[in-house]
Amino acid sequence: MAGLAVAIECEGLGLTYTAKTGTAVNALDNVRCRFVPGQVTAIIGPSGCGKSTLLQIARGFMTPTQGRLRYVSLGGTDAPAPAMATVWQAFNLFPWRSVLANVAFGLELAGVPRAEREARARKALAKVELSGFEDKFPRQLSGGMRQRVGIARALVMEPDVLLLDEPFGALDAQTRLVLQEQLAQLVETSGTTAILVTHSIEEAILLADSILVMTARPGRIAAEIAVDLPRPRTHATTHEPAYGALFDRIYGLLRDEVVRAMTTEGADA
Amino acid sequence: MIDQPLSTTVRPAPASGVLKRVGTALIEPRVLGWIAVAVVLIGWELIVIAFGFNPIYLPRPTRIVVALIEMFRTGGLLRDLLSTLGRVFGGFGIALIFGVAIGIWMATSERFNAIADNFIAALYPLPKVTLIPLLIIWLGTGGPFMLTISALGAVFPIILNTVLGIRQCDPGLVLAARDLGANRHQIIRMVLLPGAVPSIFAGIRLGLGVSIILVVAAEMVVGKLGLGARLYLAGQVLETEQVFAVLIVLASLGIVITKTQDAIDVWLNRWRVA
Repeated sequence: MAGLAVAIECEGLGLTYTAKTGTAVNALDNVRCRFVPGQVTAIIGPSGCGKSTLLQIARGFMTPTQGRLRYVSLGGTDAPAPAMATVWQAFNLFPWRSVLANVAFGLELAGVPRAEREARARKALAKVELSGFEDKFPRQLSGGMRQRVGIARALVMEPDVLLLDEPFGALDAQTRLVLQEQLAQLVETSGTTAILVTHSIEEAILLADSILVMTARPGRIAAEIAVDLPRPRTHATTHEPAYGALFDRIYGLLRDEVVRAMTTEGADA
Repeated sequence: MIDQPLSTTVRPAPASGVLKRVGTALIEPRVLGWIAVAVVLIGWELIVIAFGFNPIYLPRPTRIVVALIEMFRTGGLLRDLLSTLGRVFGGFGIALIFGVAIGIWMATSERFNAIADNFIAALYPLPKVTLIPLLIIWLGTGGPFMLTISALGAVFPIILNTVLGIRQCDPGLVLAARDLGANRHQIIRMVLLPGAVPSIFAGIRLGLGVSIILVVAAEMVVGKLGLGARLYLAGQVLETEQVFAVLIVLASLGIVITKTQDAIDVWLNRWRVA
């Protein structure tokens, strides 16, 4: 994780695609933002605003139709893409592989010898407090445990940038609270660069150094808000006045966009 | 007593309960199944003796067993069994390799799928026994013919189930594999194929059954070597005991194959447990 310090810059990104109905859908419009190395950036916005699309573009899995994506070194020159690994909302664990083999999957692809990749996978599992579950299959675990496997599977790759695509969206509220705290801790101690896509204002504030608030479709960056609450942040942080002020500010920005998304959703879907 | 089948697994208690334990063991479902078989066989034997049936129509089970042993000992039945097995599994092996390869190609290439689809739609529902005359004209009646008819029986269910298994793969898994650095080849080998294994195995079950039917049918037509030929020839000369003996071998073969498949199925699906 102490890899190259490469920033990801979005220069006026736009994405238009043709829906199955034949109408052109404008998913992203003139998105300008910068993901700074060593920082956690949260992207928050109403449903369908293109948050996950933006993440896929940053990952290099989708190509924007306007603007461009740049990987920039500290000196300001173009750099090769940093190593990235994603944690998915739907976990996307390989059900036929044991927990250990799931975590070791990326290393196996890279040709790391079995003994070494298993040792590293065990270490990653210990980090997410799943030692002792190596030989279980994903279906034998609870949702929260499965997502910890998902986090370990991404962390074991030692990515320069960790991509979190609504990582706790499929979990119940209590599990979510606990995992948010644990992830906040992991992120704080490792100092990794991360991009977090979320619906949850609380999650964004707990985890991020900076929050990008997006508009309803076509998604644009409505505001960039710095989160300067002290770390470590836990659930107790949510009781502090500074937290409340930040929450209200973001909610104020989001509320109108959510309403707009709800009323226009049917129009171009 | 009826509610105690599990107690047979308990370690033997002092001698006083011996009769009770035997009684409990008898109603254990597995044991009961074999008892039922025994009852039917004994009943068959007694009825044939009591009514004095002509053995050309219905021989006694004991005589069938004698005929079976005799055929294995001096009649070369083992050679017939082995040649039938060789044809079934040889053709099936060819079908497995080609079936999975074609299935993967169809599921991952829209163009190849379009090309292969019409041929499969035409050939799959065709009863493969109808191809026996044509294949004999082309290939003769030897090994190549037998392997071809066996492979033709198994290949279609394997192709279709491979395609189905791969199409049902969660796209999220493919995305996750790509994210972790998998190339196209690795995605096929390490994500699509293992995900499709239970479905492919369902195709194997269907395919192997059809292979057995076709090989035995082809052997009956050719009438030289193999269980089918043995069955047909015995029928021609009214050796009913031998007909039954071959049927027993075929049925036993079916049991062994089915039970083996069940065991493999359980093992393959162990990750599907809740």
